[in-house]
Amino acid sequence: MFRKILIANRGEIAIRILRACRALGVEAVVAYSEADRDSLPVQLADEAICIGPADARRSYLSAPAVISAALLTGCEAIHPGYGFLSEDEGFAEVVRAHDLTFIGPPPAVLERFASKEGSRRLLGDFGLATIPGSDGMLRDDAHGLDEAERIGYPVLIKPSAGGGGKGMRMVRSPRELESALKVCRSEAKAAFGDDSLYLEKWLEDNRHVEVQVVVDRYGHGVHLGERDCSVQRRHQKILEEAPTPALSPEARAELCDRALRAVVAAGYENVGTLEFLVDENSDPYFIEINCRIQVEHPVTEMLTGIDMVATQMRIASGEPLGFSQADVSLRGHAIELRINAEDPEQEFRPSAGIVERYLVPGGPGVRMDSHLFAGYEVPPYYDSLLGKLVVWAPDRPGAIARAIAALDELLIEGLVTNASIHQALLSSEAFLDGRVTTNMLDRVGSAAFLAAAARV
Amino acid sequence: MPNERRPVRAARDDPREPLGEPGEQRSVEARLEDHAAIDRLVDELLPALVAKLSATELGEIEVREGAWKVRLRRPANGRVPSRRSSDRSSERASRSQPGHEGHGHARGATESHRSARATSSAATGPQATPASDTNGSSPPPLAVGPGRPIEIQTRSFSSDSHRVVATSPAVGIYQPRTELTPGTRVRAGDRLGSVNMLGVPQEVVAPADGVVGAGYADAGDAVEYGQELVAIELVPATIETGDGGDGRPGGSLGGGA
Repeated sequence: MFRKILIANRGEIAIRILRACRALGVEAVVAYSEADRDSLPVQLADEAICIGPADARRSYLSAPAVISAALLTGCEAIHPGYGFLSEDEGFAEVVRAHDLTFIGPPPAVLERFASKEGSRRLLGDFGLATIPGSDGMLRDDAHGLDEAERIGYPVLIKPSAGGGGKGMRMVRSPRELESALKVCRSEAKAAFGDDSLYLEKWLEDNRHVEVQVVVDRYGHGVHLGERDCSVQRRHQKILEEAPTPALSPEARAELCDRALRAVVAAGYENVGTLEFLVDENSDPYFIEINCRIQVEHPVTEMLTGIDMVATQMRIASGEPLGFSQADVSLRGHAIELRINAEDPEQEFRPSAGIVERYLVPGGPGVRMDSHLFAGYEVPPYYDSLLGKLVVWAPDRPGAIARAIAALDELLIEGLVTNASIHQALLSSEAFLDGRVTTNMLDRVGSAAFLAAAARV
Repeated sequence: MPNERRPVRAARDDPREPLGEPGEQRSVEARLEDHAAIDRLVDELLPALVAKLSATELGEIEVREGAWKVRLRRPANGRVPSRRSSDRSSERASRSQPGHEGHGHARGATESHRSARATSSAATGPQATPASDTNGSSPPPLAVGPGRPIEIQTRSFSSDSHRVVATSPAVGIYQPRTELTPGTRVRAGDRLGSVNMLGVPQEVVAPADGVVGAGYADAGDAVEYGQELVAIELVPATIETGDGGDGRPGGSLGGGA
């Protein structure tokens, strides 16, 4: 295991990584931007080092600044968290060139899975069904129009790099496609520095189900079950749960086994997530693999009792996994609510400000991963995630009841949060019946959703 | 970034393109263009305005340049405002090395960015905050754009009334220019040394005209971004802005110094 690592991220995930370091007895240095000088991770860290200004391109996204900070503080490895440099194979390569370890897949593995379109083809070859899509990246608009015609509208435009809904648009006609390509290209360029796009057939009423895998350097891998992330708004997940209500226990086991076999065969290493769309017939189609720890990993931790960040660090340091599939048990039901500084009444506009009061819910099976504290000022420069409220109970109704109670206890004053949309969701028929599809919030409209919940 | 001693605001009138929906990101091109424009204004316009303001009894100057409006205001007390309060420098002093203890360092060093925030939240235009992203990967929001009053902030130095401090432009190894000894006169923009970030030297520059004072780091020291490196003692005659009340007609550069 490493003696000392650099955490090159901020917010709740920086805290989460710090906690894993404490559990493993690893010293942690937090690299921060000027805007995060007073943040909780900086205060809790063993050491902290300022790497640049608020502008992430010159701090959290600056490979030289991050690596320089790691070298100056005597770190052996860098944990990139999620977002920022977490899936940048170029960064991972430079980290290695400086005799540091990138906590995540090795550069060669990242490179193999760098392109979503390439991963689809690769894992398709190893037995995963994939959604019909464009033949490779779109060379230009004309190529895009031809491919969309061949696949059949509606199609989804997707960027090769990144995640979080940036650079993604669903289009129903050639006219929409032409204007959307331009927007997606500039969004993808801004968010990920890569503007290559591809097309995928749009499945109208689909569910988003993802399989968590962990594979060590020696090819031993296990899956840690699946998560359902169908509750989305404009391609952004807002609530995740496990197990998925979309599939039978047999179908879930089958999907997880198949996903694990494919990634091990394809030479994957470290923690990873395979995302699938599940259509009305409960058929899963592989869409992409995320080569990093994910925002929603606590859902899986609640079910398995496995510290996934610590596992990630152990694998990166070269340790064998140390357990097999038979040792993994998936118990009960977990739900994660992403608490964002967004106003559901105002088209989810980000809100910023000072957290005046902050009270964290508690009780059995309740966990809050957050970097908030009373008096903290949420800087306007980064994403709006304030924290993740995660609950566990032996079954789904129990978990929903705990989620509602915990949400009631949660108090964040000074900022507008999206808590009301969670209250609405947790009492909606669609969610209670486990029928939420990825397009539901966008189609019904969040406002209508909130209004319906208010009447109940 | 040139020296900036007064609150400066640039705002764009007549936006050339309609604003997006609230929460929608403006295009990268548009934002880069705005940034280039602001940089250009700062480089070309600001020095002249500073000189003009210093040479007159005016409290405020506002000029229009194309679609932009730049307003330069003399601080109420007529002195150079300390954009980083002195408690900041003392905080700094206690953590002069990177890898300082994370526990228990002072909070409350956020005054300057807080004031910037107040400005942006007072804007009636769309949120300066961009549509946010999951996974922390949202592109850095540049809180500028049409209709959004912004406060140009420069973080390249800190100052009080008679001294400014050149700070580190990067996280790396510090190398001062050896020929610069205390007492050496420098002009704003002069190179004082460099910080080597993974083999690439980043220049440490004098934020103002003055005389080299104390050095806060030694050659070969590991320094973090924003760390104070060299004090520049301001030479009063070239810096004092005049107290605005001495009644001298016209006022020469240097006013009542």
